[in-house]
Parts: sequence; structure tokens; C-alpha cells
Amino acid sequence: MKHHYMTGLACLMLAATSAVAEERFDPDKPEDALKLQQKFTCSLNEGETTIGFWQGSFFSRVEGERDRKLFGVIGVNVRQCKNLQHPERGPGFRSVSREIMLYLDPDTGEVLDTWTNPWTGEELDVIHVANDPVNMRGPLYAYNADGEPFRFKGTFKNGRVFVSSAYPLFYKNPLGGDYQEYIGGTYHATEFFTDYALEDDVLDPNVKKLDGMTIAWTRVADWLPWMKMGDRVGLMFTSTVGGRLTSIEQLPEPLLSELKNNYPEYMAPPPLDDSRPNRTSWMAVKDHVDAQRSGEGQ
Amino acid sequence: MKKNFAISLASVSMAQVSMARVSLAHVLLTRVLLTLVSLAVAVGAFAGDERFDLSDPDQALLASNKVFCSNEPGETALYWWQGVVFSRIPGEKDRHIFNVQGMNIRQCARFEDDEKGVGFRSVSREIMLYLDPGTNEVLKTWDNPWTGETVEVMQVNNDPVNARGPRYARDDEGNARIDWSEKTVINGMVLEGGEAALLFYNNPLAGDYQDFEGGKYHASEFLTAAYPLDDARDSGQTKIQDSVISWGRISGWLPWMKMRKRSGVMVHFTHGMRLHRWEDLPEVLREEIEANYPMYREPPPLDDDRPNDTSWTVFKRWIDGKRAAGELPEQSPR
Repeated sequence: MKHHYMTGLACLMLAATSAVAEERFDPDKPEDALKLQQKFTCSLNEGETTIGFWQGSFFSRVEGERDRKLFGVIGVNVRQCKNLQHPERGPGFRSVSREIMLYLDPDTGEVLDTWTNPWTGEELDVIHVANDPVNMRGPLYAYNADGEPFRFKGTFKNGRVFVSSAYPLFYKNPLGGDYQEYIGGTYHATEFFTDYALEDDVLDPNVKKLDGMTIAWTRVADWLPWMKMGDRVGLMFTSTVGGRLTSIEQLPEPLLSELKNNYPEYMAPPPLDDSRPNRTSWMAVKDHVDAQRSGEGQ
Repeated sequence: MKKNFAISLASVSMAQVSMARVSLAHVLLTRVLLTLVSLAVAVGAFAGDERFDLSDPDQALLASNKVFCSNEPGETALYWWQGVVFSRIPGEKDRHIFNVQGMNIRQCARFEDDEKGVGFRSVSREIMLYLDPGTNEVLKTWDNPWTGETVEVMQVNNDPVNARGPRYARDDEGNARIDWSEKTVINGMVLEGGEAALLFYNNPLAGDYQDFEGGKYHASEFLTAAYPLDDARDSGQTKIQDSVISWGRISGWLPWMKMRKRSGVMVHFTHGMRLHRWEDLPEVLREEIEANYPMYREPPPLDDDRPNDTSWTVFKRWIDGKRAAGELPEQSPR
């Protein structure tokens, strides 16, 4: 609580001298560091929607052959945050979002309905990413449950701020069996993100969301399950670039039309208090395959 | 359209200069002509704007060349990046094995062609340091966690990394090379990237039967960039002021790791930006370059025609040097 008291006092002092000193967030202060993180995640204004967009390609890597561009991709994440205040842990937030990513023909850029696997020759239904919800499990506060202060991990350089992260994932595959640690099949991927923003926007408390933010995202992972690659050796990786939109109408085609026609609920985030478990593409494939199997009476 | 006139004037004059090589005279002449163009543009600015007309193929190329190089021949362009390296081996969680700090220092020669218009060719040198992922110290040796062997680390020091030939405003069919209307621009920021260079060629370290035996150089590299469109269009600046990048690579193990044919790949993922002063490079890079790679403070000469270096060719020279000096056995042990 001491922190809040001091922040209040500091604000008063700053207000008194505002004619000369402009108030800026201090990245070394846990309460401010949290606000910086929130700006990179969503808006500081509770319930204000932020729209993240990205585009790029999915590639294969198989030993012994040149990597192949398998798909173009274009995606959007629509998000909002609930602002929280905890008696011990200080200010906090939690994001809720929905996410679409479409697989596109690598040459024409058209949305794929089916795809012919070049290694197996099989023609397959394409299952686009439509994950609802993609939420933070719990809130992030200025102090964690052990009282440790939150530290902002951005790099400040020449008027720019970079927030880069890597998430190596290795967990039980919902499509795998009950003995994955013995025979394999574990979900295995790493996701790499960098967010880029202007320092002036990041540190200015009056700038509530980073409209000029851009991103790079790369994922290195096993084959997508709907590709029906089974145990074939190889992996996939992505190269994408993106940024924040100020309006959904800024989305490039074919994503904008696809969103309006086929995924209208994805144009708005889930409710602020959404408590459903997260959706992943692997679950979506499981549902798709299970439905197909029961339809076919298998 | 005084600006266009000045550029066509420059094109005509430049066309009279020999196209084959960039001479000092060419560089000087280019500078004079550029100044003329700048003056004309400055005059034009009173009437209209001081911006490139992106529908004009020459000006579209000038706006594009500013992003990674400079429109002023001989003016140095400096890019910096930092990031992480992960291993990926089937059956285990990916491991964070290195951090990296890198930089590329370049300059561009300017060309003029009767049909193809203005063109630029870049010449550059490149350093990337492998750092301890915990302490960020430059690694001299590395304990390979899979083999248990302690190996000597070879930092990336590639000289040169040059464009093979000039990139002109128009291709051989006369079509504009840079189509700005096709670029993605969001809230004033140009977003570039999302493709990759898919590399698969003969490995200079492998033998003469790679198509049969394997061992080819196999990697993909991908670069993205984001910069304000207004910055690129500003014809009053020879290089872009604000530009941020990401660079990534999926490849086989680096030769100095001595992984031989063990399954797995390495993933590099980095972020960086254009810098405007040498002093803006992180200290670890500046100190290492000044101590061990001093010529990397400058790009190669504009007319550099040496073949490009890659980490694999540099490694071959490094090992061959050690073998010649008797520090290593002459051949791989049988």
C-alpha cells in the first residue's frame, strides 16, 4: 500500500509542477511497469477494443529437401481488458479475446477450403484457426502472489521500445494418447513474438492504446493435425508481420469479408468476465474429426 | 512536376557515364547530380510537397532504397539486432541455448540505365555474436549439452555480404520493380515481410556427392520491417529515420557446435532497428568489433566484387587455418 500512497503523492507533486515537468510512466516502478505491459496487451481503458492483425506464410522443413511455402496466412485478434485493483497486489488487468487465422493459397492468396498434401497426395479439409476464447488465465498485477514486483521486460532504444518473448511449449497433446511420455506425441512448439512501439507513446499516461504498434510473430511446431502427416518427420514454421488496427474495416481482404460473412461474432471480444477455458486449434481439430467420425458412423 | 524533370535530367546525364563499374568520378558526379536534384526538389517544395511520387518507377525505387541503404552513394547505413537462439530436437522441450547481438554495415553504389532507370547495389559486412543466454557475455567456448564436448565458438563475421548486381527501378520488361500500391500500410506504418529465403545448396564443408549422400546447406531466413510511409516518401532525407526489423532463421546446427548429423534444428529470432551513429550500437558489439574485427567499422568499397561470405565458408577458412597451423589434425579422423 505504501507504493500507492507514494504514487498518489508523486502525482500531486507532479501536478503542482506540471507547467515544467511532463508526467511520464516510470518503467522501474511496478505499478507503472504493469501499465506499460497492459498497453502492449490491450488498452488502458477498460472495455476498449484493440485489434491485432498479422499476415505472412507457413513453411515446411523436411530434411533432405528445400523448405516449401505451404500457405499464406492472415489473422486477427480482437481483445479487451478488465482493469482490476487488489488490496495487496495493486493495479492489475486481464485480457479476453477471440482469434481467427485463415490459411491461404500460397500463390493466389485465396482462402483454402481444401488442400492437397504434397507428401501423401491426399485431399483434405482445411480447418482454419477460429479460437474463442483466447484469454489470460488470471489477472496480472503490479505484485505477484509472493509480493514480487512486476518488471517490464522491454528494451528501450533510440525512441523505440521492443517487447520480445519466446514461449517453448511442451505439454500433453489433446489428440494424443495417455502414454505420451513413453511413446511420444507430446505437443511441441515454440512461439516467438516481438511488439514494437514508440517510446513517447509507451511512456505517456495519456496515450491509452498503442495505435502505431507493430509486431512480428514466428512459430516453430509440428505439423498441423488436419494435414494428416501422422509421424512423418518434419516441422512447420511461420514468418509474419502485423500491427494494431484502429478499425476492423482496415483489415485487408480476404480476411475482412471472411470475418463478416462467416465469423461475425469474432468482430467483437468476449465479455470482460469471460471464464470459459481457452480454445486451441488442436481442440478444434479434435471436434471436427470426432463429428466427422460420428457422422460417418465410425 | 519540376522534381520529375530534375530526375529525368539526372538519368540522361548519368546514362552517359560508363555503366560497367562505379568509379570515383561516377560517385562524385552522382553527388553533384543528387545535389541538383535536391535543389530542384527544394524549389518544388515551395509549390507542393517534398515527397517522392511513388507512381514514378524511379522515385518508387529511391523511396525503397532509403529503407535498408542510403540514396547517397558512400553514405553508411547501419542496422542492429538482438535476440535468442533455441534448439529444437524431437522429443524434448526447445532449449534457449544462446542470445545474439548483430549488426550489418553497408553502403550502396548508384547506377543509371537507359531503359531500367536508377539502380542501387549494396555492399556490406556483418557480425553476429553468440552470447551466454544467462549472463550475455560473449562466448569463447561452449559446453555442448548433447555431446558433453567443450567446443570453440566461431562468431558470425561475414565479409562481404553484397548484392550480386544492382536493383533498378524497372525490370527487363520495363515494369516498375517496386509497386508501393501493393504494400500493406496500417495507420501510416508500412509492414513488410512474411516471406522467406528458402536456401538449399551445396555445402562448402561437405563432399562431392551431396545429392546422393546428403549434407546440403539447408536453411530459411525471414526478415520483416516496419517504418512510417511518410519517412520513406520524404525526398529531403537520403535514408529512412525510423525503421524496425525482425530477422529469423531455421537451419541445421552450426558447424562449430560439432553436432554432426544429430537430429534437430536451430531457430534464431531477433528484433532490431536502423541506427544513425556507431556509438548507438550496444557496448558488447562495439568492444568486440574494435578489439577483434576492426575492419567491420566500415562497409566494403562500393566496387567490391569478391564472392560473398557465409558462416560456412568462414568456418571452412577457420578450420583450414587451424589445420595448416598444426592445431588440428589434417583430416577428419577415420
